[in-house]
Amino acid sequence: MLPTSLDEAVEALGASPAAVPVAGGTDLMEAVNAGRLRPAALLGLGRITELRGWRYEDGGTAVLGAGLTLARMDRPDFAALIPALADAARTAGPPQTRNVGTLGGNIATNAATGDTLPVLAALEAVVTLARAGATREVPVSHLLTGHDPMRAGELLTWVRVPLLHAPQVFLKATGRSGPSRATASVALVLDPARRGVRCAVGAVAPVPLRPLEAEAWVAGCIDWSARGEEGARTIDPAAAAAFGEYVASACVPDGYGADPAAGTAGEGPTAAAVALRRTVAVLARRALGRALK
Amino acid sequence: MTAEQIADLTTASMNHPAPAGDPRPTTSYVLRVNGFERPVADAWIGESLLYVLRERLGLAGAKNGCEQGECGACSVQVDGQLVAGCLVPAALAADCEVSTVEGLSAAGAASDVQQALAESGAVQCGYCTPGMAMAVHDLLQRNHRPSEVEARQALCGNLCRCTGYRSALAAVQSVADQRAAALLAAEEAAQQAAAEAAGAEASPAAAAPEPEDTAAQEPPVYQDAWTQTATVGEVPLFDEGWISAEEHPGATAAGTGLGVIPAQGYDPTAYGYGPGTAYDGAGYEPTPAHATSAPYEGTPAQGTPYEPTPAHGTAHQGTPSHGTAYPAAPPYTAGPYAQAPYPGAPYDGIGYPGTPAHGVPAQPTPFDGTVYETTPSPAEDDHA
Repeated sequence: MLPTSLDEAVEALGASPAAVPVAGGTDLMEAVNAGRLRPAALLGLGRITELRGWRYEDGGTAVLGAGLTLARMDRPDFAALIPALADAARTAGPPQTRNVGTLGGNIATNAATGDTLPVLAALEAVVTLARAGATREVPVSHLLTGHDPMRAGELLTWVRVPLLHAPQVFLKATGRSGPSRATASVALVLDPARRGVRCAVGAVAPVPLRPLEAEAWVAGCIDWSARGEEGARTIDPAAAAAFGEYVASACVPDGYGADPAAGTAGEGPTAAAVALRRTVAVLARRALGRALK
Repeated sequence: MTAEQIADLTTASMNHPAPAGDPRPTTSYVLRVNGFERPVADAWIGESLLYVLRERLGLAGAKNGCEQGECGACSVQVDGQLVAGCLVPAALAADCEVSTVEGLSAAGAASDVQQALAESGAVQCGYCTPGMAMAVHDLLQRNHRPSEVEARQALCGNLCRCTGYRSALAAVQSVADQRAAALLAAEEAAQQAAAEAAGAEASPAAAAPEPEDTAAQEPPVYQDAWTQTATVGEVPLFDEGWISAEEHPGATAAGTGLGVIPAQGYDPTAYGYGPGTAYDGAGYEPTPAHATSAPYEGTPAQGTPYEPTPAHGTAHQGTPSHGTAYPAAPPYTAGPYAQAPYPGAPYDGIGYPGTPAHGVPAQPTPFDGTVYETTPSPAEDDHA
């Protein structure tokens, strides 16, 4: 089935809820090729042109179509709008994957290493789910954590992202040079209007994590009114380093990577946890430094 | 919306095995591959484009590497976009323009990209080469003058374990140079033709404007050009992996990945087929400049046989007929071994004056071989 409009797609999905909606198919086909998934039917979303762009709303919100490809988000016009999302899209994979992979697919697949997910969590995006005759809005964090999951027959259509007009950084650590899956990623967003720092750590857990206490603490350390050379906000380098450690210890538990059967409770953090914490700490410190630069 | 909650669906399908009614839903569709309509009948909906191309349509150019989109060996173009063929559900590519590596080589001759890859030594085991050729082709379609960084970014999805990518990058540059030169030549020819057509009244000085240097005549740079500008936000944590955008003057030490690597092509004249029969390239139609409309004359109707490919067994035009003697081949008797002492001369050992017989200590050494006399044999030592 290859519907050409959103209404058709929603109707088709309502008629056969077992059909799997497919936009880019990069994650779906990986599962199919490996024999992990045998779809009863496919609902191709690639022809729905209305979902492939974005529009503006209320002056302060961008409404991104779920069919926006990662390659499109990587282009400079989009990067000027939401730089962290563009950075995440750029590093998400090789061109072969980014040409077809979509923002909505990244959310719906909800892979732990989905690169746009920490950015959307830090931006506190809201997604629109459509089914035949109705839509509803869900915060992306509720959707990802399963607090409010997608229901049968629902289609992810739009992603509402606030336009903050402030520095945003996405940093990612990978196992090799070149695009590959993240071992850890950090998205950090400044919200000067609310004097807030929002940070999300991806790939260390099944869903992106928000170290809320560290965010609140570091927001208090930033001199929001200071306008030094080139209007940079300032922070003590020691505070930035402490922020990194704070984020790392908040997001990586002591028992990370430990074999639950081995029962090594109470012996301090595992080696894997120490290594990952170091990575996350560096990422968070650099992200803060670049955002405040 | 790549897949709605794959994880959930996966577990769901494991908990509830496939519905008994239709465990293997199939569909029929038509793919447009390299300009030909290729019907596919009763194919499982989960078949990837790669599988359909290779197994159902017999186009085995794209290779099956990882089936995960990591290796790039299956790269094909769908509607002009480079994609991993293994990650495209073939049923959803119906009515899309699919172009494969077979379409690059029109009329059986290698395209300029393929030839450059072969000449620069980017082909060793060859498994990644079709995907690499598609990636280079795709890059040069969008960006006529890619920088080294752009080329590396475009090829980052094509893994090659043999060559180390430098020869592939050299091939990108050589194709870009060739195409720019061909475009320049075509423009010049067009200008000259126009000037001649303008006739005698036009002053000769104005008629043939000097072509400016190549930089000024560069073809427009498309989509990827922006990556050369300092991008919005750095490429995080893997800009260390990339080679910096600065021009490095000249080649550097092997293994550093820096510097301009000259194409490792061999000089064809060095491999001429004997004196006087140097290969003059007559057999190869030079590939027309990119965007020249000459060779592509629209999609032939389905069922039209391939005309341009010569029948099997057709003689090469440039090759002399079988049995033609090499005209200038030197007689073998004049070889460099004429003066060798072999014919009849007994071996006199003159060539080895310095080597002593085994066990005889070498004369010039100050130790007189005494050291060796007292050395016990290893077997004795072991059992002592």
